[in-house]
Amino acid sequence: IDQAKKSSANKAVVEARRRMLDEWLAWRERMQADLAEEREDLGLPDLSEEQQALMVDEEDEGDAGREVE
Amino acid sequence: MRPILLSGHERALTQVKFSKEGDLLFSVSKDHIICAWYSANGERFGAYKGHQGALWTVDVDPTTTFLASGGADNTIRLWEVRTGRLLKTWEFTTSIKRVEFSEDGRQLLGVTEKRMNQLSTVIVYDIKQDVEAEQGDEPSLRIVVDELPKVTVAGFSYLNKYIITGHEDGSVSQYDAKSGEMLHNAFSHDDGMQVTDLQWSADRTYFITSSKDKTAKLHAADSLEVMKTYPTDTPLNSAAITPDPVQYVILGGGQAAMDVTTTSARQGKFEARFYHKIFEEEIGRVRGHFGPLNYVAVDPTGKCYASGGEDGYVRVHHFDESYYEFRYEVEREREQGIRF
Repeated sequence: IDQAKKSSANKAVVEARRRMLDEWLAWRERMQADLAEEREDLGLPDLSEEQQALMVDEEDEGDAGREVE
Repeated sequence: MRPILLSGHERALTQVKFSKEGDLLFSVSKDHIICAWYSANGERFGAYKGHQGALWTVDVDPTTTFLASGGADNTIRLWEVRTGRLLKTWEFTTSIKRVEFSEDGRQLLGVTEKRMNQLSTVIVYDIKQDVEAEQGDEPSLRIVVDELPKVTVAGFSYLNKYIITGHEDGSVSQYDAKSGEMLHNAFSHDDGMQVTDLQWSADRTYFITSSKDKTAKLHAADSLEVMKTYPTDTPLNSAAITPDPVQYVILGGGQAAMDVTTTSARQGKFEARFYHKIFEEEIGRVRGHFGPLNYVAVDPTGKCYASGGEDGYVRVHHFDESYYEFRYEVEREREQGIRF
């Protein structure tokens, strides 16, 4: 009986997680679509300047020798 | 996780920030100096000297051209990252608690401290995108916060649409970033429990706040709705969101020795805590500091995170494989496209 209880409790936890994941992913999808639409309406590129900074990094590696002071 | 210890500061750290490319880390402390480090190896890139008091805040623009800082000497300063040159000093009548660039780097906000006869203000400057240009003296927007308690943190949402503020009483507010009009005020955290930090998701459509009420909360930027809550057992000073595809948040805090009866590092809870962003469950802790964690920041490329401690150290931890590979069963299901 304990074993059965345990497994149904686990099942409930997994169910709850599955629901949380679905809700989160659905919300993200909606937000991303809304944001993409707003950016397009404003005539802006898909990614913000700070998101673009990540792309640049992958293309040109290292501008060595930067020193201050 | 392989930690790198950055020991260039002489006093408590107050904020640490990665460049948007993730290669540099900027740190400010009560010792008046801004330090810059290479995040890959912890070597020092340089220092920015000129402030006459404790520093509370630092930020860097998307192209790592401009650095902004603010502190107890009642100034916001703008620096050229590459050369260390001071480009502009704006003076105020109270200290600066927070500075932050907008996602496009064209605007900079500052939060001035509320003091006797002085209300909290959020000021915004338009930043000319040229290090040789003379930056304007006058703000393009000034929000005087007279209806709400002291502002402790603030930031710009996606598209510079909203300015979000966190307050001393635990509330979070949303302002129209063009008009300065207050749109929403939400009591997200326990009444009277200060909001200590506010950090954004990569696209700035949602953010996380940390509070002295021992929780961190994930909010939607447009509705201010609390999406997720992360309960802990210690007052929090900071919270950060890891970049996709990893779904974690990192929380930092701990009680200072003078605030607790015990002083051991264990009981002070000086650990960075990792929670699963979606499932709100704690998944791990990283020890190392000898005092409260005053700030945690994540490298935007997702390679490492940094924490700044009351102990005067910055610790940079590069993630190992297990960090990227860990998944909950339901996440694996999803990735494999299994449906029930």
